[in-house]
Amino acid sequence: MVQILTYLGYFLVLLGAIFLFLGGLGIVRLPDIYSRLQAGTKASTLGAMSLILGVGILALRQPGHWNWFIKAIVIIIFIALSNPISSHALARGSYRHKIKPWTKEDIDAYKDYIEHEGIEKESEEIKNE
Amino acid sequence: MKKAIAIILLAFIAVELFVVFYKIPFGADRMNVARFYLENSPKKLGVANAVTAIVVNFRGFDTLGEVTVLFLASTALGSILFRRREIHTRLSHLRTSVEASVIVRIAGRFLVPLIILLGAYVFIHGHLTPGGGFQGGVIIATGFLFLLLAYRKFTIEHRTITFVESLAGITFAGIGLIGIFLGKTFLENFLPAGKLNDLLSGGIIPLIYIAIGFKVAAELTGILDTVLSISIDVKQKEIESQTEKNE
Repeated sequence: MVQILTYLGYFLVLLGAIFLFLGGLGIVRLPDIYSRLQAGTKASTLGAMSLILGVGILALRQPGHWNWFIKAIVIIIFIALSNPISSHALARGSYRHKIKPWTKEDIDAYKDYIEHEGIEKESEEIKNE
Repeated sequence: MKKAIAIILLAFIAVELFVVFYKIPFGADRMNVARFYLENSPKKLGVANAVTAIVVNFRGFDTLGEVTVLFLASTALGSILFRRREIHTRLSHLRTSVEASVIVRIAGRFLVPLIILLGAYVFIHGHLTPGGGFQGGVIIATGFLFLLLAYRKFTIEHRTITFVESLAGITFAGIGLIGIFLGKTFLENFLPAGKLNDLLSGGIIPLIYIAIGFKVAAELTGILDTVLSISIDVKQKEIESQTEKNE
């Protein structure tokens, strides 16, 4: 049992480290803010989550350290909530500031959404709250 | 030419540093003050975090000064920004007139309590784990920043902030004065040290850190609210002028 937990924990830590490295590489190498946000959100969220879960599982090997595992789960839930939301707000803010995406084709689904229904719908929702 | 000068200067500094550090034997224990702190903070005060013991107990008077500096900074920022409101209208085109999205507003409902809980945890456990009053206060202020950004209707009563801030400051100074009344020095520990690694240990250190946490949180929230209120004022003026033009 202890051996299984050890292998699983170290595997998750290694996976998390790899994903965090890829996320950092993406932030350096990708061309514009939207794709950088994608690297900084998807890769680093998964990386941080798996790294923290791995640490929690490694702590389970010692008796009496189960509270580490529970704390790790709480941190994972917090990261899963906060990281995508913050990058959503960043992406939306940079779109509102008219930063052009780095694309070959002129695809802009969010613009269509705003033009057809977005603004009125959102302002109505705000009024209803 | 500039690069050559920079490289020569860097090489000069590197050589000087090398000469200085070469004379010190590697791993030598020459820090008598540091040794004193490391030995005495667990033994005499019962504090696991030596940094906290230094900041709040050994150099508590210094921390009182730091808190005063923060208070002065927030007061000065508030007065400056409040007077020169007109200057900021020039920046108005940089600000969006759109409210935060549905995702952010819904997420705020359960993220903000978690953020404030984390801040309280950090400053209550200041004598046990890394962190403390300043860090916990900043975390709580980010929670209030979230509220201010996500909900435009959310307002902060500046009287409440001033009250919390003053109360926390008075608590800090009052705990210090109790030490004098009990025949010790200012900010000296007068409570029992307790067991190492217990939540209720370290004498007056947790009390002072709770006061600092409240003070820092209130001050930073006040600063953030002052900065953001300017943008909201600008926006209101813009909307008013636009409606006047349309009419």
